[in-house]
Amino acid sequence: MAQTMYSKIDEYGFERPANFDYEVHAEFMGKYMHILVRRAQRWSTLKGKNKFTRSSKLKRFIRKGIPLDFRASVWLQVSGAQKLKEDSVWNYSDLKKKITNPSLIDIIKIDLPRTFPDNINFIGQEQLTGQMFNVLAAFAHQNSEVGYCQGLNYITGMLLLATRNEEASFWLLKVLVEKILPKYSVTNMSGLLIDLDVLDDLVRKLDVDIHKHIHKIGMPWAMVTTKWFICLFTEVLPTETVFRIWDCIFYEGSKIIFRVGLTLIKLHKAEILRTKELSELITCFKEMRNHKDIIDCHQFMIHIFQIPGRITDSDLKNLRTKYSKAQNQR
Amino acid sequence: MEHTEPHSTEPEMANRQGAAQRPNGAQGKICQFKLVLLGESAVGKSSLVLRFVKGQFHEYQESTIGAAFLTQTVCLDDTTVKFEIWDTAGQERYHSLAPMYYRGAQAAIVVYDITNQDTFGRAKTWVKELQRQASPTIVIALAGNKQDLANKRMVEYEEAQTYAEENGLLFMETSAKTALNVNDIFLAIAKKLPKYDQNQGQSGQGQGRRLAEGDQGAKTPGNCCK
Repeated sequence: MAQTMYSKIDEYGFERPANFDYEVHAEFMGKYMHILVRRAQRWSTLKGKNKFTRSSKLKRFIRKGIPLDFRASVWLQVSGAQKLKEDSVWNYSDLKKKITNPSLIDIIKIDLPRTFPDNINFIGQEQLTGQMFNVLAAFAHQNSEVGYCQGLNYITGMLLLATRNEEASFWLLKVLVEKILPKYSVTNMSGLLIDLDVLDDLVRKLDVDIHKHIHKIGMPWAMVTTKWFICLFTEVLPTETVFRIWDCIFYEGSKIIFRVGLTLIKLHKAEILRTKELSELITCFKEMRNHKDIIDCHQFMIHIFQIPGRITDSDLKNLRTKYSKAQNQR
Repeated sequence: MEHTEPHSTEPEMANRQGAAQRPNGAQGKICQFKLVLLGESAVGKSSLVLRFVKGQFHEYQESTIGAAFLTQTVCLDDTTVKFEIWDTAGQERYHSLAPMYYRGAQAAIVVYDITNQDTFGRAKTWVKELQRQASPTIVIALAGNKQDLANKRMVEYEEAQTYAEENGLLFMETSAKTALNVNDIFLAIAKKLPKYDQNQGQSGQGQGRRLAEGDQGAKTPGNCCK
């Protein structure tokens, strides 16, 4: 990673944004390299057949970041994707042979060159785009309630970059969409609409000034946060930060999305309140990725468990029930 | 049909026109309008905006998730028209989010791809929805995009034109790639929008917000009246 500190391309092949702060990044990387080495050592002490089974120790380890070499196997284990695969009556290669629906093939193919056109691993790289097609088409084939939803292409692309393994990416996509996340990607996106209301509720409870300001300017949350839910922060935050977030989503579930979102909002309170009109507010959200507290993904991942306060699974469940009823009455 | 320069990379078309028509110091109205882009996935909504606002074109434009927001200013006689452009996601399932984007819009561009008949059908559905749900005074333009691919045309010009006339829509075939009619369609909308001088203060529906002179977008690079 060291040689990429000043590169215009990040360690995962993405072009850095035009206004990327190389100094802040270099300073952080100087620190982060030591953390990565230390974490790799700590992870190598995990031993035995059950080393990746769920435990408070593993959860703590995951919050501090899964080393790149372990990432694919830890995600598969802790998310339940591995179990899904073992329990499945069909296997992935048989499933791929069944992809025949022409309209589905067409819509996925349109999006292939439109996914990460700035990433050197994807532009003109038939291997990765071919794998992306296989994963998306196989997934859509076996889940007709979701089929293909725009946004899944970005998630699949990120899974392929992290795991470098097509089949692992398929099972991880399946476990994310079908078990971990609410119904974000289904044809009426009901889970997304509910969680947008839940977010609004949580922001109001976290900081009423920010909540008032966003409503005064009249920005629908969906405008800037749809990518938070649908793409799990892909291209919203720096790639390393995104993978650190995903480490926790695979272990702890969708409430991590709210933790991250609320932390982003709270860390930018001054900037948000300074905006006077919609265009400034949107720019403020877009610029969040360049904030030094967010480039420092290690510190950011500590913040997300402190800044938003307590959010339990049952709090979230109750809020979702509340807003699901409200949606039905609209 | 009027053609703009193909392959134009000059972003500030407003500057050119504005400089000619509004010498520095001239008094004029400044109106701000909300414009929303709707249409099926991959018809070129984001590309039209990118061409209009930045004078650029990307062969592979990333699909829009959620909505994008950009502003651009055009000058018409003594009036500066600032468009607040809301660019939306096209895939059908994102439809449930659309009402929060077109709410309060004074203008809409409904886009289809001239090489794909289904996208024209979908455009008609959008027009119907806008006529039913959006502001009654909304100005709607229909854009048949990808005119540079006319050799693969599946939607006839006359068919779309007749439909547009029957429904009171502005209509142009456009190409975000060659810049054909991109500025023109926004200008045509600007011309059609009511630009009242709002001394009464209260903003009427479907009417541009009059901005105080000092309020004009110093942040907007395309602002023509600086």
